[in-house]
Amino acid sequence: MEVLTSLICAFFGTLGFTILFNVHRRFYICCGFTGMAGWAAYLAVSQFTTAPIASLAGALVVVFLSRYFAVWKRCPITVFLVAGIFPLIPGSSVYYTAYYLVTNSLELAAQNGIQAIKIAFAIVVGIVFVLSIPKEFFGLCCRKKEGTHLK
Amino acid sequence: MEAEIKTTNDNCNKIMQLALDAGTVLLSNGAEIWRVEDTISHICKAYQVDDVDAFILSNAIFITGNNDKEAVFAKVKHIPLSGVHLGIVTEVNDLSRHISAGKYTLEEASTKLEEIRKRPAKNPFYRALASGIGAGCFCYILKASVTESLLTVVIGAMVLLFSLWAEKHSFPKLVKNILGGGMIALLALAATYIPFKTGVSVDKMIIGAIMPLIPGVAFVNSIREIANTDFLSGTVRMLDTIMVFMYIAIGASTVLSLYHGLLGGGF
Repeated sequence: MEVLTSLICAFFGTLGFTILFNVHRRFYICCGFTGMAGWAAYLAVSQFTTAPIASLAGALVVVFLSRYFAVWKRCPITVFLVAGIFPLIPGSSVYYTAYYLVTNSLELAAQNGIQAIKIAFAIVVGIVFVLSIPKEFFGLCCRKKEGTHLK
Repeated sequence: MEAEIKTTNDNCNKIMQLALDAGTVLLSNGAEIWRVEDTISHICKAYQVDDVDAFILSNAIFITGNNDKEAVFAKVKHIPLSGVHLGIVTEVNDLSRHISAGKYTLEEASTKLEEIRKRPAKNPFYRALASGIGAGCFCYILKASVTESLLTVVIGAMVLLFSLWAEKHSFPKLVKNILGGGMIALLALAATYIPFKTGVSVDKMIIGAIMPLIPGVAFVNSIREIANTDFLSGTVRMLDTIMVFMYIAIGASTVLSLYHGLLGGGF
């Protein structure tokens, strides 16, 4: 039950940021779904491992779905990618880093800072990895192929 | 013969100008470097201008076009950083695909581009509501209580209104984000004084409410540009993201530590 509300919140949270970036109305559902799926993957994997690995899993799902939707809806991948990645951004680690730095708890600051960098790197690796899959693969998923702006 | 060459040159200028405008609109609304490059070369190719070179940085476009003998068009355009409007990026992308398919004449394409460029952002209050909901939901998925999440909805909406106001009066990024971060912390601290049955914690409200200020588009684009070996633009945008993160965090934590120091801190 708790997981379910968390997922619903991830959906609407992502949707909120989609609206914030002035995305067209016809992409709302897909954007929300991307964010929700990424968060679901994060939650599932974080049961077994650390936050960075879970973020990697989340990022992989988000980018994969984004590319699929970008080909399907024929629009820039940025639309789905930016909103979908939002739940995974290590906002809390960055906040705690700055907070402990200001309150002079340097050890805790370093711990949180390294955590933030690790999570950010995991997201980077996730994005780069899926983006380097040749685009023909995503063309196969959808029958319509036209133009070169599919990526 | 002479006249004919002249008209083609004239035409070529118009085509290049259209391509440059399309690139400008894309870049200033948060598109990636390779998308700008692609769009410029597609538009030029669609109108039979073959020899085009474009060099694009995160805030400038350099473009030259040649016919057989001489350069007919060369322009450097500086593009100041501005807001993100992914709706415009999508529409210019569609426009460029339609131009490639030969659906528009040059004049039609220019009017259409102008139309897209003038498209306004969504209503500020609608956006503030969206920002609040986004902040509140993200607060909730970080295991905050329902009360905290609802308070974050209010804080997130107010912060977006502040940030839109600051952008309208062209505050520098540093001032806008430090003040934004400080405002979040102040509002969150104020919320702890509202007597609820269960106490609320400041941390989660702040973490949720800073989400609308985070430059998500710049972050994702910088990664993708580095992955695309556009290292120069990628690092510039990455640095931009890190700086904004720092400003927000500095603003919020300064207010918190002042509160600690002055009032003894109740949390």
